[in-house]
Amino acid sequence: MRMVRIKVLSLCALAAFLYCVAQVHGQSAQSAAPAQPMSSEQTTQSGKPGSSAAASKQASASQGEKRFEAQCGRCHVPPEDLSPREARAVLRQMRVRAMISAEDERLILKYIAP
Amino acid sequence: MLYRIFLGVLLVLCAGEAAQAQDYVPVISGAVGFLSTTSGGTHVNEPIIVPVLSAPIGDHILIEARGGFEEFFVQPNGTGPTSRQFFGGLDYAQVDVIVNSWLTLVGGKFITPFGIYNERLLPIWIHNLQNAPIIFTIGTRNSSESLGGMARGVFTPAKDLQVNYTAYYSTTNQSANWGAARTAGGRVGFFLPEQRFEVGVSYQRYLQDTHMNSFGAYLSWQPYSAPLDFKGEFAHSLNGYGYWAEAAYRLSRFRGPDSLVGRLQPVVRVQQFVRKQFTFEDALPGANTQEADLGVDYYLPHEIRFNADYGRQFSSQGNENIWDVGITYRFMLPLWPGGHR
Repeated sequence: MRMVRIKVLSLCALAAFLYCVAQVHGQSAQSAAPAQPMSSEQTTQSGKPGSSAAASKQASASQGEKRFEAQCGRCHVPPEDLSPREARAVLRQMRVRAMISAEDERLILKYIAP
Repeated sequence: MLYRIFLGVLLVLCAGEAAQAQDYVPVISGAVGFLSTTSGGTHVNEPIIVPVLSAPIGDHILIEARGGFEEFFVQPNGTGPTSRQFFGGLDYAQVDVIVNSWLTLVGGKFITPFGIYNERLLPIWIHNLQNAPIIFTIGTRNSSESLGGMARGVFTPAKDLQVNYTAYYSTTNQSANWGAARTAGGRVGFFLPEQRFEVGVSYQRYLQDTHMNSFGAYLSWQPYSAPLDFKGEFAHSLNGYGYWAEAAYRLSRFRGPDSLVGRLQPVVRVQQFVRKQFTFEDALPGANTQEADLGVDYYLPHEIRFNADYGRQFSSQGNENIWDVGITYRFMLPLWPGGHR
């Protein structure tokens, strides 16, 4: 019985160690990744870099607000202070529970966690 | 036992690592609240916590669960000693495989999709009035949860029309946390997003003891032109039938939704139940019953909501007053460090 406990604790410690290593590796990989270059579309249209992307983002957010009001606003108000990572998890759940389509999920995400 | 703990730790670590890779974080949301009810002279105070787990794994799998932990402090005649009883358990614990918008496969313990109250309005931070409608147990008899499999999804056949559906089968189970009856059924809803108007129908076949059918229909309307919230349901079973209709109006047009008055939402509900044949098992009123409820919700900042309501129940078994007061706080926490903004 004692040996079993030692084995289980060792395995737990090993799993925790592997997790920590993976975390550190993930963070260093993220910091080493080069910045996303601006696309030609973003730089050429209207002469202002990123202006079309900003307009598109604004349009998506407006659509997202509309979809939020239509779908989620029937039962509750927008949640306060959600990070994009939290919002993705919550929206995935609401997609199943409140019967939201994939397109609505995508647009609402841009609205509640731009 | 130790192997189970190890597997649990490993599963959590793997889920966390998958979450890091997929750029989401599992969250615990839900609400804590304190509810107080006086019904027919009996006082019940109820501190409650309802945590909800949402843990996506990849793009197509979601693990979700909701628990309910509540302590009832009951004072039978408004005087004398108070008894207490704790209830804790899982409302649902399910694995969802999201194939696409049209189809999601669900396995495990899930909320029985009959009508809209059980699945959409039951959480304490959602419903406008504290006490459930008197026809609530039609279609959700024995427990409001099912144990088995379900398919659900949403179609968009036209720009201004969404059709949603559920179809499920539940097996029977007598254990404390996984209790369910053998049933099969489904629901179809038609939603007009431009009008925020939805109607739908439900059906359930009870497949144990006395086999019986239950039917239901619902309506939900929140017009854009006014801060009105209207919902209603009708349900019919072998033992009786009834309806409820509820209207809530947020006074947000008085200096905006964040003003002192704009945070207020009066609510009114009428409901009726007609008993056809009596049985102890269905948890419905023993005789024909009518009830009218009047209440207010007050939306405080930071997801805190206060509500109070009064109901008068008319029945040949005796009329009674129902008073409810409650406060709820809705919370959301990331399960993993670095998830919060």
